[in-house]
Amino acid sequence: MTFLGMPLLPSTRRDRPTIPGGQGNIVEDESFAEVSHQHLSNQQLRNNIGHATSTIREKRADVVAELDDWEELREAGSRAKNHVMENLPEYLAEFEANFTAAGGVIHWARDADEANAIVTELAEANAPVLDSGRREVIKVKSMATQEIGLNEHLETQGIDAFETDLAELIVQLGDDKPSHILVPAIHRNRDEIRDIFEEKMPDAGDLTNDPTELAEAARRHLRHKFLTTKVAVSGANFGIADTGSLGVVESEGNGRMCLTLPETLITVMGIEKLLPSFDDLEVFLQLLPRSSTGERMNPYTSFWTGSTPGDGPQNVHLVLLDNGRTRALADEHGRTALNCIRCSACMNVCPVYERTGGHAYGSTYPGPIGAILSPLMTGVEAEENGSLPYASSLCGACYDVCPVKIDIPSILVHLRNEDAEANHSPVSSQLDTALTGASWMMSEGKRMATAESGLPIAHAVTGGEQINSLPGIAGAWTSSRDIPALPEKSFRQLWAEDEARAEEEDDES
Amino acid sequence: MTDTAREEILGRINQALGRRGGGEYVSSVSGTVPAGAPAAGPPAAGAPAEAPHAQPGAPAAGGGTVDQSADYLRTGTHEGEDLIEVLIDRLEDYKANVHRVSGDPAETIAGLLESGSKIVVPRGLDDSWLNAFTGDVSVDAPGQELSVPELDTQAAVVTASAVAIAQTGTIVLDGSPECGRRAITLVPDHHVCVVRVEDVVDIVPEGIARLTPSAALTFISGPSATSDIELKRVEGVHGPRTLDVIILGSAP
Repeated sequence: MTFLGMPLLPSTRRDRPTIPGGQGNIVEDESFAEVSHQHLSNQQLRNNIGHATSTIREKRADVVAELDDWEELREAGSRAKNHVMENLPEYLAEFEANFTAAGGVIHWARDADEANAIVTELAEANAPVLDSGRREVIKVKSMATQEIGLNEHLETQGIDAFETDLAELIVQLGDDKPSHILVPAIHRNRDEIRDIFEEKMPDAGDLTNDPTELAEAARRHLRHKFLTTKVAVSGANFGIADTGSLGVVESEGNGRMCLTLPETLITVMGIEKLLPSFDDLEVFLQLLPRSSTGERMNPYTSFWTGSTPGDGPQNVHLVLLDNGRTRALADEHGRTALNCIRCSACMNVCPVYERTGGHAYGSTYPGPIGAILSPLMTGVEAEENGSLPYASSLCGACYDVCPVKIDIPSILVHLRNEDAEANHSPVSSQLDTALTGASWMMSEGKRMATAESGLPIAHAVTGGEQINSLPGIAGAWTSSRDIPALPEKSFRQLWAEDEARAEEEDDES
Repeated sequence: MTDTAREEILGRINQALGRRGGGEYVSSVSGTVPAGAPAAGPPAAGAPAEAPHAQPGAPAAGGGTVDQSADYLRTGTHEGEDLIEVLIDRLEDYKANVHRVSGDPAETIAGLLESGSKIVVPRGLDDSWLNAFTGDVSVDAPGQELSVPELDTQAAVVTASAVAIAQTGTIVLDGSPECGRRAITLVPDHHVCVVRVEDVVDIVPEGIARLTPSAALTFISGPSATSDIELKRVEGVHGPRTLDVIILGSAP
């Protein structure tokens, strides 16, 4: 059930255990309202994003409609993830034992800094220093490493991390930030991408804006790196507790290149990514591709269990990342946000995301899921993250498409309540006064009638024009909305006149 | 450093879940549940009361009530020639080239490969499949693995497959002797993959059930592709740009 409107859920803030929040690229440094305003006027961005989200939305709807048991699959996916969260210590221990027995090495990281330090140490131990005096690693697209700002950290340590996913490459070469978790360069069109490639790819030569040619340029650009780099860094879509396996879902083959050809593989995975058993993949390999790219199945999916003798990297490491996940877990009303499998379906249906783009959310996780996940991981007190739960119209479309049934609207309302208590307490006296007054006025018909009798005067004062701005606390409302012109008469007055006219007509007849 | 991190993170999780001292799990809904083996915990308070994760055929770890009601499909409805037709339809939708062969595939395979070119095959591939091919065949075997630069000079790779899932047009390679290690089907630009009709299943759960989880698994659905530029699908980025699938045998 979705609770909309005023926050109704009881607050648990005061009883919440003090678990540290996460750090890194999950913190807004400006409020959503402020930064989204800057993006709203960018017509090119809105066109690009609008085109992309509507296209994926339609593809997704088509392939979901093909399955008669979609709702049962969603239910099973939700059940599996809830079960994992409730039993997370046991599943982590089981996964650790199995992954280690298969020849892998596990590292635990409390936060972004610790994870970055672990990856740095592993890269220094396994990636050779090149003639340039620097080390190199290749990377598979990964939300966890975006979240901790790994590339930026490695750069300061003399290690260059090369993104190999085409979209991540476009973002990296353009000194840009991802704006969507599935298609990070969704805000760029083909002309912009050609310009970035021509400027930043040595030997790219002159390119047209044909996507086939641009993809070919990326292939040439990265081919040598794939074949020669000793260390790769990846994320993981799934960790399987009963086998100790990890899985990566992708399209281009850059994932397979990174997971297969280097000598050392370092994977960074959030602790919430576990599934109980290998058999659970029968659910998640149906839910994820259809919800994400709108395909029946993505072109490539890889699973590995520790190291496989003679096949792929023999030096296999996994960094298990907390970085605020346990803080989110401690929120009983919000913890299902950790069920997220990063499909991005919620972004593609969100009217707010479609107009602002991903950058406005200031986090690795944009859109509806980001609006709850980021503040849950950092706490609403962190920087401007308390503004994120308001980045929604509460229309509920995100809940309808979520493959693991995360009730995003309810959590948004819950977090607004948290924010109000944490950051705006006591509630603004202006708002209090206004609402108390409104309540008094509306609770009695005569008072309402008296208030409405002022309408003709208000109409005269405003000159029959629409109202673009109001003073005081009402100014927040009118800063992004106009109030229609006030009518000359109230409904009560019109009704009374109509009644009187009808009576007159009755008398005449 | 990491040992401490491990204990601290597990401690935070226990705290977050309301467990005391890590020993027992105190639920606000149903009281105390013994810890140790994963217990079937209740969902978060405030969420609808849902049954714990159900996994018919594989009981929920550590016991607990398993709800087997309201479940998704585990077996498909297509069989025989219908099943193969679905597979072909989905493979072609993903831009794979599909070829039906009921007897010896040697002529078909040779026809797909450029004559005289260099190809790589896994050690367990049926020798007879290459009888009609006239080029240079390298066999990738334990102790005689082709190096990455050597793989990069191969025009094509020919392998068998473990399972094919019709509903999604997915072929699974499992690192067995006839599928080979992962790199050989990745670096060459052209993959000729033989799917035996008896290895074709209808839906994803049937495919998962046939696999060995500990194997290094690669699921392939069409050739390498990207949609990162204006969502226009482009076949062939980093993986093989051409995927030829030979469906071998007659449907029962």
